[in-house]
Amino acid sequence: MRLGRLTVLALRTAAGDPVRSWLIAVCAFAIAAFAVSTAILVRGGQESLHLAAARLGADVVVVPRGAATEVDGALLMGTVSRRWMPAADVARVAAVRGVAVASPQIYLESLSHASCCAVSDMFVVAFDPRTDFTVEPWLRRQLGGTLGVQQAVGGSQVTTPVNYNIMLYGYTMWLRGKLEPTGTNLDRSLFITLPTAYAMARASRTTAVKPLVIPKDRVSSVMVKVTPGADPARVAGAISRAVPGVSAVVRPQMFAVERTQIAGLLHVMLVVLAMLLALALVVLVLLLSMAAHERRRELGVLRALGASRGVVVVALLAEALVVACAGGLAGAAVAAFGVSLFHTLIATRLGIPFVYPGGGALTAEIVAGLGLSFLAVGVAAAVPALRVSGEEPALAMRE
Amino acid sequence: MSGSDEVQPPAGNGREPLVSLAGVSKVYEAPRSLPVAALREIDLEVAAGEFVVVTGRSAAGKTTLLNVIAGLSRPTAGAVRIGGTDLWRLPDRRRSRLRNATVGFVFQFPSLLPSLTVLQNVLLPLSLGPAESSAGNEHALALLDMVGLGGVERSHPRRLSAGQQQRVVIARALVNRPRLLLADEPTSNLDEQTEAEIMGLLERIHGETGTTVVLVTHAADLVGRGTRHLVMTDGAVRPAATLGRGCEDTPRGIS
Repeated sequence: MRLGRLTVLALRTAAGDPVRSWLIAVCAFAIAAFAVSTAILVRGGQESLHLAAARLGADVVVVPRGAATEVDGALLMGTVSRRWMPAADVARVAAVRGVAVASPQIYLESLSHASCCAVSDMFVVAFDPRTDFTVEPWLRRQLGGTLGVQQAVGGSQVTTPVNYNIMLYGYTMWLRGKLEPTGTNLDRSLFITLPTAYAMARASRTTAVKPLVIPKDRVSSVMVKVTPGADPARVAGAISRAVPGVSAVVRPQMFAVERTQIAGLLHVMLVVLAMLLALALVVLVLLLSMAAHERRRELGVLRALGASRGVVVVALLAEALVVACAGGLAGAAVAAFGVSLFHTLIATRLGIPFVYPGGGALTAEIVAGLGLSFLAVGVAAAVPALRVSGEEPALAMRE
Repeated sequence: MSGSDEVQPPAGNGREPLVSLAGVSKVYEAPRSLPVAALREIDLEVAAGEFVVVTGRSAAGKTTLLNVIAGLSRPTAGAVRIGGTDLWRLPDRRRSRLRNATVGFVFQFPSLLPSLTVLQNVLLPLSLGPAESSAGNEHALALLDMVGLGGVERSHPRRLSAGQQQRVVIARALVNRPRLLLADEPTSNLDEQTEAEIMGLLERIHGETGTTVVLVTHAADLVGRGTRHLVMTDGAVRPAATLGRGCEDTPRGIS
């Protein structure tokens, strides 16, 4: 029997028992929706961390000792770090063997609901334009040069349009561009040079509701690029030994807390998915066994008309999979759309950074979720299909 | 049989019977019950072109006999041959193909698929075959005309009376141009007039197409129909009468 004819027969049979078909579709929907949303959330979190690390562009990040988690949180989630390290440490770090570039950064934030700030609680990264290798390359590529004083670039989610002015601490800056999204707090951050930060601090004494205070000769962190061929882990170790009071974190170990959170989320969701799968399998096996049992005579008639055992198995699988296809597609679509619509809320609630996966990754996740729902329905359908098809047709027709 | 997957309908050669049962027994066994012998060492040959009527009381083994002939039930002992091919020496797939190509079945119970239209039901055996002929639709419509149901092809079975449904089943049984038509109590649920119409239809099909028919019934008033009459009692078959109408071969091989 050709596949097309089998599918038509499967569709007609499925339409003939709408309640059963709905229940199968709901199971496929639930499996696909949960699997796809889990995959998108976890992939989005991992992708976000990857992009954030790439945005920083540092092989090693040097922070005040014990402040690694705080700095990660500042970059990813906007919880501002109050920890500082001496500016003189920048030179000490730069002198360590294997360090190609050491560039300081200062992390600031705008005031909450103050008339002197256009945006409330905005995270601000101030970098040294002479040594920076994180924002500067992008600036040269996109804007043809570095940022001047009273100029800024923003993350992708900064609401002020490009080429408009943005005011912080009563200090007006020209927003020259926006960076690509990372799904982290960097998307809601403003990037300025250290001279601009100091100028803003000076101006804030007279223009702001509360002045901006940048501790003298202090920086928040030092971004390090190692020399070609150098092992970042060894360089980090050398920095920790050579410069007292700092921690040096290599790129793969950056955002360790967030990575653990995402791994935890994946673990919990996999457990829930396994439970959902087990429950759905029980329901599906019961439903499909009942359906196959009720149709024993009909299947016996098909055998009498010339259907082989294999055709009966394929027919029963096709019926279940046609319905699963509809339910699974709907589930995957709802999950993909739902996560895209509410991803900011979900990520905030779960406390993880998130960037919506791109076309290829999204397609792979949808295909995987659909595949899982098809597999569950297929396995559940195969159990009664093999049993009923193995029965003697004459006995089946006697029922 | 050739070694290929395709099973050709057996061609009658004038010497070999179309249906041959040799020492066929069928015993039903079920847990916690005594075995029931439905067929007892039956030797039976049906020549091409015969119309065999098998009568007997309920539970005499008539339906089991048809199921065994069609390869729908495996005999406990003995051999079943259709056109010389031993059915149970074939794998399931080839046995199914042989059944599809050679045997048409008219069931005792309602057997139309409710989700399909009348025409789709009639076409079902073609759909289950290895290749669907482009002329299948026309042939199916012609068969529906022949059974007096022209114009209802788009209806669903539930809209038809029991007699009309049985006519559709007959059309479905004939759509593959089978050489053997097996009818299991085809009139058991019908009123007298419809029963007469259905029997007339089967006889007309036999007369016009030369299709071999084996019909089982418990209806005493059908005695005398067909070309040969057999009686079944407790799983055994014995000859009741030789009518010699519509069949040139001499009935044979009944023990």
